[in-house]
Amino acid sequence: MRQSKILLVLTSMLALVSCSKNDNTELYQEIKSVDKMVFATMAITKTAKMESSGWYTVGKRIAVYSYDSYMRAYIDLSALQMDDLVFDEKNKTVKVTLPPVVTEITGRDMEMRKEYENIGMLRQDLDSKERAEIKEQANKSFKEEVEDNPMFKEQLTEAAKRKARKYFEAIFEANGYIPSIDFKS
Amino acid sequence: MTKNIKKLIVFAAIVVVGIALFFWLGAPKKSIEVGKGQISDIKTMAQLCTVDLYNEVPVLDTINNKVLFAVQKQRGSVSFDLENMQVNTDGDTVKIVLSPEIVEINEATEDNSWQVIDSKNMSLNGFNPLASDKLTDEEENQIKAKIKVNSKKILYHNGTIERARTEGVKNLQTLMAKVYRKPVIVTDPTPRGAHYDEYK
Repeated sequence: MRQSKILLVLTSMLALVSCSKNDNTELYQEIKSVDKMVFATMAITKTAKMESSGWYTVGKRIAVYSYDSYMRAYIDLSALQMDDLVFDEKNKTVKVTLPPVVTEITGRDMEMRKEYENIGMLRQDLDSKERAEIKEQANKSFKEEVEDNPMFKEQLTEAAKRKARKYFEAIFEANGYIPSIDFKS
Repeated sequence: MTKNIKKLIVFAAIVVVGIALFFWLGAPKKSIEVGKGQISDIKTMAQLCTVDLYNEVPVLDTINNKVLFAVQKQRGSVSFDLENMQVNTDGDTVKIVLSPEIVEINEATEDNSWQVIDSKNMSLNGFNPLASDKLTDEEENQIKAKIKVNSKKILYHNGTIERARTEGVKNLQTLMAKVYRKPVIVTDPTPRGAHYDEYK
């Protein structure tokens, strides 16, 4: 159903290409209510080089582009229960056990930065499809890296935990309590 | 006669195979090398995110007489800065004023999140064979900057921001009631969005 809708809109949009009007009607939209408390974000830069050459080509055709992808670390507040906050009125202390810190990829820059380009006089400029191809390859590599290398998630999670502790400590201390903040695993 | 036809067929086959080989071997080889990801920035904050969104939008735009048609997948969110929120804890009730929304829209990282379908040059109504239909990276980036603004505009007008703020009031009330153990009143000075007028 969704595919046929996309095809229908694409066909009608292609027919309208020559009208050259700016249009951004959604093909598909998903809006989800969430209850996340975000404590840290990370920007990861990917750089990709494209080169094309053949036995008969004269001159170089090299382009290097980069862009940033983003991750964030959050706690799911809907998982925070009343008994996760234990107050001791006598000693003026509070023990808080926060939900675990979760990380996720939140997207990438729309724009690309041109880092370098060397295109010979007899060679063709890069087109939009080639730039999209470069980004696609870089994106695949980025997702594999995030899966295979725990360093990204670990650094982000640590930064988020530090910030969460600082944030909740400030609130409870302002109310006269000595807090002890921990996270569920 | 039959011999000549046979010779002609063999000759034509050799020519066809030769042409195919020429294009197959002669096509410039394209290689893409991707470097390792480098952490360029880590920011800490305390933000309440109430809406996550995913969009697929067709992009049809013109810049310098060049038309680009593409399909983009987007990911976004609506959040509120908890550190710069007005909080009044004096008295029996905690009073909080909801801060302006932070709307973020990025290109998604799903496969083919930026799919270019076609580009064409419209100079002389498209009848100029010498005009290039290739957009430069600057032109493409300008189109993408416009996409972001348009997508935000849609969120303000289709009620997504209003919904995010309503959820913000509700979620903040629940969280702060647990933290302060007092009744909490969260007020929203701009239910349609703090930046509604900018995206009219």
